[in-house]
Amino acid sequence: MESTQTEKSKMSFAAEVFQIARRNAQTYTILLALVGIWLIFFFTTDGTYLASQNVSNLFRQMSVTAFLAAGMVLVIVTGNIDLSVGKMAGFVSVVVAYLQANTWYDYLPNQPLLAAVLSVTVGLAVGALFGALQGYIIAYLNVPSFIVTLAGLWLFNGLILLVTEGKTIPANQPWFEGIAQGYVPALWGWIFAVFAIGFLFWSMFRSRQNKQKHGFELRNIYIDLLITGFASLIILVYVYNVNNYRGIQNPVLLLAITVAIMVHISNNTRFGRYAYAIGGNREAARLSGINIRSMIFRIFVLMGFLSGMAGVVLASYVGYGTIAAGTGYELDAIASCILGGTSTLGGIGTVPGAMIGALIIASLSTGLQMMNVAPAWQYVVKAIVLVLAVLADVYFKKNR
Amino acid sequence: MDSNFILEFKDVTKQFPGVLALKDVSFEVRRGEIHGICGENGAGKSTLMKILSGVYPHGTYEGKIIFDGEELKLGESSIREASEKGIAIVYQELTLVPTMSVGENVFLGREPVEGQTINWNKLYADTKQILSNYGLNVSPQEIIKNLGVGKMQMVEIAKALSEDAKVLILDEPTSALSEAEVEKLMDILKTLKAHGITCLYITHKLEEFFRITDRITVMRDGKVVVTEPTENLSVEKLVRHMVGREMKERFPKGKRKPGEVVFEVNDLLALDPNDASHKVLNGVNFNVRRGEILGIAGLMGSGRTELVMTLFGEYGKIVNGKIMLEGKEIKPQSAREAIDAGLSLVPEDRKGFGLVLIQSILKNISLAHLNQFSGFLRIDADAELKASLKQAKSLTIKTSSFEALVETLSGGNQQKVVISKWLLSNPVVLIMDDPTRGIDVGAKYEIYKLMNDLAEKGVAIIMISSELQEVLGMSDRIMVMCRGRSAGVLPVQEASEERIMSLATGISS
Repeated sequence: MESTQTEKSKMSFAAEVFQIARRNAQTYTILLALVGIWLIFFFTTDGTYLASQNVSNLFRQMSVTAFLAAGMVLVIVTGNIDLSVGKMAGFVSVVVAYLQANTWYDYLPNQPLLAAVLSVTVGLAVGALFGALQGYIIAYLNVPSFIVTLAGLWLFNGLILLVTEGKTIPANQPWFEGIAQGYVPALWGWIFAVFAIGFLFWSMFRSRQNKQKHGFELRNIYIDLLITGFASLIILVYVYNVNNYRGIQNPVLLLAITVAIMVHISNNTRFGRYAYAIGGNREAARLSGINIRSMIFRIFVLMGFLSGMAGVVLASYVGYGTIAAGTGYELDAIASCILGGTSTLGGIGTVPGAMIGALIIASLSTGLQMMNVAPAWQYVVKAIVLVLAVLADVYFKKNR
Repeated sequence: MDSNFILEFKDVTKQFPGVLALKDVSFEVRRGEIHGICGENGAGKSTLMKILSGVYPHGTYEGKIIFDGEELKLGESSIREASEKGIAIVYQELTLVPTMSVGENVFLGREPVEGQTINWNKLYADTKQILSNYGLNVSPQEIIKNLGVGKMQMVEIAKALSEDAKVLILDEPTSALSEAEVEKLMDILKTLKAHGITCLYITHKLEEFFRITDRITVMRDGKVVVTEPTENLSVEKLVRHMVGREMKERFPKGKRKPGEVVFEVNDLLALDPNDASHKVLNGVNFNVRRGEILGIAGLMGSGRTELVMTLFGEYGKIVNGKIMLEGKEIKPQSAREAIDAGLSLVPEDRKGFGLVLIQSILKNISLAHLNQFSGFLRIDADAELKASLKQAKSLTIKTSSFEALVETLSGGNQQKVVISKWLLSNPVVLIMDDPTRGIDVGAKYEIYKLMNDLAEKGVAIIMISSELQEVLGMSDRIMVMCRGRSAGVLPVQEASEERIMSLATGISS
């Protein structure tokens, strides 16, 4: 009697796991793809791929496009696109470099901390301002975002040349340099890790409690524990690994905080809900009293702000403002969103998904570079991965 | 195998998830006749026509269809096959490409070519030939969007005929036409009959059957009730066959006790937002009492939907008139302002305007009233869930989980989601634009009961409906609209189908 009972619950557990895996096939495919890519490079590079220093570089490398992708998700979710973000980040980076190298040097000598704070403020403001300009034209003057932001791309290209006059501007001053090149001390790294894991478990239990309270069916607690446990394990392994090198990189910490905020915005605020509703059915959203224009405008301001952030990190990470800054980043950001399950038709997409997408792209780039694959073939491999990922998505949607 | 019949349906049964759309449908259509198919929404007419025209290919239904002596077996590219065999359909929704010319539309997908190049001269000459053969007075070069609805319909028919159709299916061809255009269509159908083309004619306007058809098949709840020569039938007999029971049973009579006037519209005049020279509303006057159901009747294009969208702040530019809600004048400029003032709108076409299909039931319900549960920084998920769940449960939405996506629900349950959404804020006035369109009889009954309950609780309900029976069955008073104005307001006791239609068509005032 008892043995059949346990067998039955075991069966249902397996069935439940299978069901969840099937329902979220897309998410798991992309995670598996990431693990697969890591494993391949792990073997082809004799293990150095996953060595501390390289993991550290990998995450830092992805951070610039990841900021862009975090904003791009909401832009695409509302049925828009932003082609200007790469060059906007590039423009912010040269503006910030120019301020660091010239303006602050002239007016605020020997005040590196104040200079850095001012640079960041100006950089974010420039991003938000240009975002507002583009958003205004798109939302209130009814010009399609594709056109406006394509024009934006050209505009920023021109502005970059104007600011740099074709030269490279150094941005490697103390404090400012630390934004993207600094590290969090090991102890603090562990504290953040514990905090993050604590938060994961807290929110899991809270969500279960909430569901129970309203009479929803709860899924097997072991499945929830397994998923949360696995996520925690990844955080621990990551922190252990980078602490073996020099610690969590500042830009990655910054990115993690940004992502946490963006996840909150998209799931738990009216702003986020409205964005998904507009993408899902614009007319239904309008008749539900949502001010579509104002929403689209604000989404582009947010996108501009995050481009500003990416620009600041870019200047600090590279240490220079150059005319090529940010070239092609918009396409990496868009590809990250698509890889992460954002629908080009609007209404569907998550920020964490886009982060995994960005990580896949960065993983491919660094891995192929380590294997000394010629740049030409790097592009070919990236092209194949992108199309395969979307094909898999189409396939799973059809067979859901 | 009687060659008298061009079409024979034999025990056709079609099952959708959870709904039996057709059950053992059997009847014959004679060669060269105009055969009317009659039934309420949800009776199965459209499903049957979709099977015939290949939307649902062979194998997705049970039973047999014999066409011109052979069993009809439409495969993968079934819609194409059906038209090649000579079965053409003109849908309710026009399926022309508005930016292309008449000729291009008629030959879309079958353009006459020389080598790889389109022979434009032949295309336009052939189009002209087809149009003049059947007395259709349209220029082949005209761009579709410049034509009126009536002429578009004729182009649709020409397109269907250009493929040498043996059977032409007309699915509610007159719902958007003026009386003169209907007259013209009737003439065309007679010409077609003279050419030996068989017509299947579907309409909600019962009197049209008696103007044009030879025989009529009546369907109800997915079954054939009767097939009889038209001269043996009358409007009364048709209705009895269609409904199959007394009116009382279809429309639950509530214990409504209308109170004082809460909503009033005076001399409303509004311009088309896309064309300021066109008055979409030209003198609308009515009021609604607390706990009353006011029906709005009128033909398509009479301004019913434009009226409610304008009241909701989302359509016409109001140039004159007053809207009074609970004694105060309101001037809603957007849906948000209308909602905050106390109006709610269950829009027509729930999939297009009412729902975010790819989101969950609960998210749809709370969408219009998230401000009740949230500040700028956070939505109170607990309060949101509690309120949405309460609505979802009280309207008995049938689903495996309230977190299921709305697209997985049946039409009736989807409509309940839309209604739940608007009840979240206890509206003073609930506007419902064709609330039972395309949902089955049982679900309709539930929606009617719900409307009664709401009215009994004191909500003033404004209900637009294309079905006269529904307007007559549910309303306390009926406003009839005609060409953008209110042609009259009738207490239900004084209203009849004839009275409403004569007001709606502008024959009397």
